[in-house]
Amino acid sequence: MARTNVRRRRPATTNQISAYLLHHLQSLIFSLGKIYKAPTTTIMTVTVIGITLSLPGGFYLFLKNIDAISGDFRSSSQISLYLELNTSDKQARGLERHIAGMDHVASTRFISREQSLEDFRRDSGFGKSIDTLSSNPLPHTIIVEPGEAADTFTVRNLLNRLQAMPEVEIAKLDTEWLERLYTIIEIAKRSVAIVTILFACAVLLIIGNTIRLDIQNRYQEIIVTKLIGATDAFIRRPFLYGGVWYGLLGGIISWLIVEIGYLAISGPLERLNLLYKSDMNLITFSFHDFIVLIASSTLLGLAGSWIAVARHLNQIEPT
Amino acid sequence: MIEFHNVTKRYESGFVALSNVSLQLDDGQMAFITGHSGAGKSTLLKIIALIEKPTRGQALLNRINLNNLPRQRIPYLRRNIGIIFQDHQLLFDRPVFENVALPLQIQGYRPQEIAKRTRAALDKVGLLHKEKSLPITLSGGEQQRVGIARAVVHKPLLLLADEPTGNLDPILSREIMQIFVDFNQVGVTVLVASHDLRLIDELDMPRLTLNAGQLILNDLDHSDEGGSLGAY
Repeated sequence: MARTNVRRRRPATTNQISAYLLHHLQSLIFSLGKIYKAPTTTIMTVTVIGITLSLPGGFYLFLKNIDAISGDFRSSSQISLYLELNTSDKQARGLERHIAGMDHVASTRFISREQSLEDFRRDSGFGKSIDTLSSNPLPHTIIVEPGEAADTFTVRNLLNRLQAMPEVEIAKLDTEWLERLYTIIEIAKRSVAIVTILFACAVLLIIGNTIRLDIQNRYQEIIVTKLIGATDAFIRRPFLYGGVWYGLLGGIISWLIVEIGYLAISGPLERLNLLYKSDMNLITFSFHDFIVLIASSTLLGLAGSWIAVARHLNQIEPT
Repeated sequence: MIEFHNVTKRYESGFVALSNVSLQLDDGQMAFITGHSGAGKSTLLKIIALIEKPTRGQALLNRINLNNLPRQRIPYLRRNIGIIFQDHQLLFDRPVFENVALPLQIQGYRPQEIAKRTRAALDKVGLLHKEKSLPITLSGGEQQRVGIARAVVHKPLLLLADEPTGNLDPILSREIMQIFVDFNQVGVTVLVASHDLRLIDELDMPRLTLNAGQLILNDLDHSDEGGSLGAY
């Protein structure tokens, strides 16, 4: 008897690859069947995963909205020039034309003292008090819109040049608060990144632990299948697919949680919009975001089960 | 089929389960291993089934050295063996058919082939009508027959049985042993560990008797009968 005798006994499959794919499909369905048969455990596990992932998901959505709103500010950064009170109307208009011709200036707008007073009287509700004043306390104002291409440095330079003009009393660039806002957003972004990493680790642990318990529950089955010639890959497969299902379902639940939260917020926000006469629109997950969320939670499921399987499956050997 | 050359097995606890055992079981032979509990019967079977490795000496299965077989080759070698356990080790969460079909699924047979062979194996042990039952609903003898069907469904070259009749009454035990004899008659090599001496006497098969890890009786001794069943 030669060694070939052992190898002679090939399975009677016409196609090894199709048998392999078939087992993948069987594992996929088998693991889904197990999930279906143990609904309580499954619902608890995937809900915990869903809640865990909904936090970074929600933060992400929040930041996305803040980003969109602050983007509007970014494109509308402008310099306000408040002229000396003794500047005449003619001087002021001449100055406006001069500034309009300067480098890095996209447009200018002149608001006369009278106009300012009129606007103030109309909008502030202090009309009667204004009337008691003997003279107009408001200066001529020139609003300077820097060019689209101007970066922070150029805009600062422009500001300094404008400030240096004798007619200008105050040149005010509204970027300081904007820079603060951007810094805060940056901090928030990094915090979200940290939170995301931590919660991803939590999901790995949750899934890893669930799969570990699953392996323990099926200890006997693993021993028996090893004894009748199952390869490690064969035994591993249903557990890995189990992790994939947990991840996938958990991802869908986290998406649902975030969407429900979004719906809950969108009502009051609409009213806020009306009150502020603004046209802020709340952004929800795009299709791309949805795919990324589901794909990453599925991958987390696979990775978590892989860790559990690598740690625990090889330790189970028949004795 | 099986060759042991001066095999010694010492467990980590220091217990010596087999001491300097040499034997040879040829293709198509059937033999019994007897001896008291703790004599080393199970250890001998475990070495053949690649569950344990010899501490010293060489164990060969089909001329393949089992001492230093890489881990990833173990499953493929085990597919040549059908193992029957005293407590039959059925999976209670699935019906009889699924239990018996498991070795074929592991080896990647097509579903039609699996159904055909599984039914044939169940028919052979007389349990075709129970294919949809759950193992828990079967009697002890029936469960053991399901275990046998699972061990033979993939037509192994070698059948190992560890106390297969340990929990059964004499009539059922005889039935079970007869199934092994039938398989042996169609060419399967069979090695059965049992302490049921009366039953073994009835069957008149070669015997290996172990006592405290030593082989004290070996009916398979080939020194003077070179050409026994199916050798070379």
